[in-house]
Amino acid sequence: MRSDEAAGRPAEQAHWAAGRCALGCCRWWEETGVSPSRPDPVRPGLVVLEPAVACAEGGGDGAARESELGPSPFTFRSRRIFLQKEDEFFEDGDVHRHLYLQNSITSVGEVERPKVSEFCCQIAGCSQLFDALENYEHHYNTFHRNVCSSCKRSFPSSHLLDIHILEWHDSFFQILAAKQNMYLCLVESCTEKFKAFSDRKKHMIKVHGYPSDFRFDKPKKPKCNQKNQSSHDIEMETSSCQKEANDTSCRTSTESMDYAPAETMEADSPSMSEEKSSIPKVQQRPSFSYKVPTTICFGHGSVRGFKNARKKK
Amino acid sequence: MIRNRNRVCGVEEIKAKRRQHERALRKARKEKQLVSKRLPRGLQGDGEDVEIRETSVTQEEIFQLYQRIQRGSDDRLAALCSLRRVLHLKEAQQIFVRFENSIRVLNGLFTSNLASVQLQAAQCLLKLSHSDDPSISLVCLPATPYLLTYLSGQSAKFTELCLYILGNLAAENEAVRSQLLVQGVIQALSVCLQSPHGAVVEATAYLLSQMLQAKEAGEKIILAVLEASLTPRLIRLLDLDSEFGMQTTVECAWCLHYIVSSGVSSECMISQGLISQAVKLLIALGRTVDSGTTDGVELLIYPVARCLGNLIASDEQLWCKRQFHDSDLLQALSVFLRGFLQSRPFVTRECLWLLNNLSAGDRQFCSAILCHNLVPVFLQLIPFSGGINTLVLMLLGNVAELGLEYCEKLQQQTGLFPALCSTLSTADPEAARMTLEVLNLIFSYCQQACARFANQNGILALEMVQYHSNDEVRVRANFLMDRYFADQDV
Repeated sequence: MRSDEAAGRPAEQAHWAAGRCALGCCRWWEETGVSPSRPDPVRPGLVVLEPAVACAEGGGDGAARESELGPSPFTFRSRRIFLQKEDEFFEDGDVHRHLYLQNSITSVGEVERPKVSEFCCQIAGCSQLFDALENYEHHYNTFHRNVCSSCKRSFPSSHLLDIHILEWHDSFFQILAAKQNMYLCLVESCTEKFKAFSDRKKHMIKVHGYPSDFRFDKPKKPKCNQKNQSSHDIEMETSSCQKEANDTSCRTSTESMDYAPAETMEADSPSMSEEKSSIPKVQQRPSFSYKVPTTICFGHGSVRGFKNARKKK
Repeated sequence: MIRNRNRVCGVEEIKAKRRQHERALRKARKEKQLVSKRLPRGLQGDGEDVEIRETSVTQEEIFQLYQRIQRGSDDRLAALCSLRRVLHLKEAQQIFVRFENSIRVLNGLFTSNLASVQLQAAQCLLKLSHSDDPSISLVCLPATPYLLTYLSGQSAKFTELCLYILGNLAAENEAVRSQLLVQGVIQALSVCLQSPHGAVVEATAYLLSQMLQAKEAGEKIILAVLEASLTPRLIRLLDLDSEFGMQTTVECAWCLHYIVSSGVSSECMISQGLISQAVKLLIALGRTVDSGTTDGVELLIYPVARCLGNLIASDEQLWCKRQFHDSDLLQALSVFLRGFLQSRPFVTRECLWLLNNLSAGDRQFCSAILCHNLVPVFLQLIPFSGGINTLVLMLLGNVAELGLEYCEKLQQQTGLFPALCSTLSTADPEAARMTLEVLNLIFSYCQQACARFANQNGILALEMVQYHSNDEVRVRANFLMDRYFADQDV
C-alpha cells in the first residue's frame, strides 16, 4: 500500500501478509492488497499501518536530474508496525518466557550474545567474508579497485593503472612512442619519461632501486580478444573465465593469497587460485604471441576499473 | 534447595540441557504448539527446607501407598505425603493412574473436609496435571468443577494450588478450555484477581494467560474476558509499587499482551489507561535497571513493551494526545537498549521495534531523540545483525524523513556516516538497502551532507555496493552515485 492509496481511505484496513516478519534480518513485508471485505483468516485482528510521512524529494536540482536519472527507486516510508502474538519477531522473547515458566532460567551464566554482522564482498565471483569492515575495505582496495576494464588486471594505485592502460590498451601509444618519450616512470613523484620499456626499467632499477622483476613493470602482454563493455553496464560479469591451457604466452598469476598490495596485485582473486597451477610461468617477451586466447582472465574480481568508468574512455 | 540423591549435575550438563530445551521450545513455537505448564517451586514442598527427591520407585511401593490411602486410617495422611513425594516421577504417575479407581479415590480425597488431606491431594493433582502426557494430566479433568468452586474459598494456599492445576489443564487443549469456560472459569477468575494475596493473584493471572495464549482465544476467550471486566484490574496491577511482587506483574503483562496483540479492542484498552500505565511502568523499570538491578527485570520489560508497541500501532490518534514527557520514556528505553544487548539481545530488538512505533511520523518524539542525544546510542548498536541494525536504520530513517532540520542535525553527528558506511557493506542486503534509503533522505534534504559523507570515505563505501548482487541495493546505490557524486573523482 502506498501512501497515496491510504490517505484517501482511512476506514480501509491494509492487510499485510508477511512473507516473514518485517523486522529482523532479511525480512520484509509483502503487501497482499487492500480490501476490508476480504478479511485475512489468518489475521482476524485489525492491522493498521498508516505510512506517516511522504517520501522526501528535496534538493535543489532534484527535479531537473530526476528525468535524467529516471524515477527514484527509493521506497522507505516511516510506519508503525503491528505484530501479532505468533509473529516470528517475538520468538526469542516467547522462548524466554516459557523457560521461565518451566523453571529453566538459571543464573548459571547463560547469556546470549548478539550476532555481529559480517561483511561480504559483493563483487561477483568473490564472495569472501570478513568480520571487520576494515578488512573488507582493505580487500576491496587491494583486489577490486584500479582494475583495468579491458583485461581485468588490478593495480595497487590509479597511477599504475593509468600507465598500464596507456601502454597496453591505447592504440596511439605505440605511434606516439616512436616520436617521443612516452614511457613514464612508475614512481608517481618522478616525472621522467623514456623512449623504451627497457630504458624505463633501467631507470627504475638505477635511480629508484626497484628490483629487476618488479611485478608491475611487465612488458605488454599479447593481444587478446576483449569483450566490449558499455560504460553504463550494470550487469556483473562472472569472473569465472577459463584459462587456455595451450596459451603459452599468457601470463601466470601469483598464487599468493595474502593481502599485501605489493605481493598480490595482478593476482587472481582467491576464487581463481586453483586454476593457477596449470599456467606456465610468465615470459618476459615484449613481443606478441601467435596464439590468441579467446577470453582473457586475469586479475579477477571486478568488472571494470572505476577510474575509467565514464570519464576517460 | 533440592538435592538429587544419586547424581550431581555439572554446570556444562545444565547448559547443554538448557540448550536442548530451548531448541525444543523453538520447534514447538514454530508448530504453534508452545505451551508450558508450571510447577512453582514454592508449592512443591510442604514447608520443609530440604526435599529429598526420589529418583526411582517400584510398582510395589506405589501399591503399598495406595492401599494405605484407601484404608482411611490415621496412616492415610502419611501415605498421601509419601505419594506426593514420588509423583514427580513419570513412572510413578503411570503406575498410579492405572490402578483401579485410583483417580476417583484421589478426587474424593481432594473433596475431603479434612484440610490437611485436601492439601496433600491437591499437591498430587498438581503433579499429575503437570505431566506432558495427556493420558496422565487429563485424569484431573473430573475435578474441574470442584477446582473452580474452591477458587472462592478462604485458604490462599489451597486456592493457589487449584489455580495452578487449572492453569496446567488449560494448557492442554481446546476442549479442556471450552469445558472450563462453560463451567464459569472467567467469573471465578474475576474474584481471584481481587484477592489480597500476591501468590493468588499471580496464579490467577497465570491461568488467564494460558487461556488467552490459546489459538482460539481471539474468537472465544478474549471477548469473555473483556466483558467480565478483568482488564481494568490487570491494568492497575501493572505497577511496580503494587503490594504484590514483580512476578505477579509479569503474569498480568502477558495477559494484556495476548489481548492487545489479538487486535480485538485496542480502544477499550487505551481508554482503560493501559498506555499511560505501561509508560509509567517502563520508566520505573528504567530506573531500576539504571541503578544496577538487571536480574530477571527483562521478564517484565518486554511484555509491557509489546503492549505499548502494538497499542501505538493500533491507534495513532490517541497516542498523539499523550500526556507524558517523551524524554523519560526515551531515557528508560535507552537504558534497556544498552543494558541488555550483551545478555538478552532480543530485549534490545523489541525495544527498538517499540521505538520505531513511537517515532514513526512523530515530530515531537524524533526531536526528543535528537535533543537527548540518543543517536550515538543507536549507532552503538549498528554492528549487530539479527534485526538490530535494520531497526536502527529504520529509526534513523524516521528521523531523516521529517525534513531539513532533522537531517541537518543528524548528519552532524560524528560517527553517523562511518556507521552507515559499515552497514552498507554488511552481508545482509536488507541492511544495505535500508542504509541507502537513509542516505537518500539525508542527501535529498541536506546538500552539505554529501560533502561530509564524501570526506568520511563514503564514496568508496558506495562504490563497493554498486555491484551488489542484490538488485534493490544496486539500483539504489547507482542512483545515489549518479545523482550526488557523479562529478566526484574517486
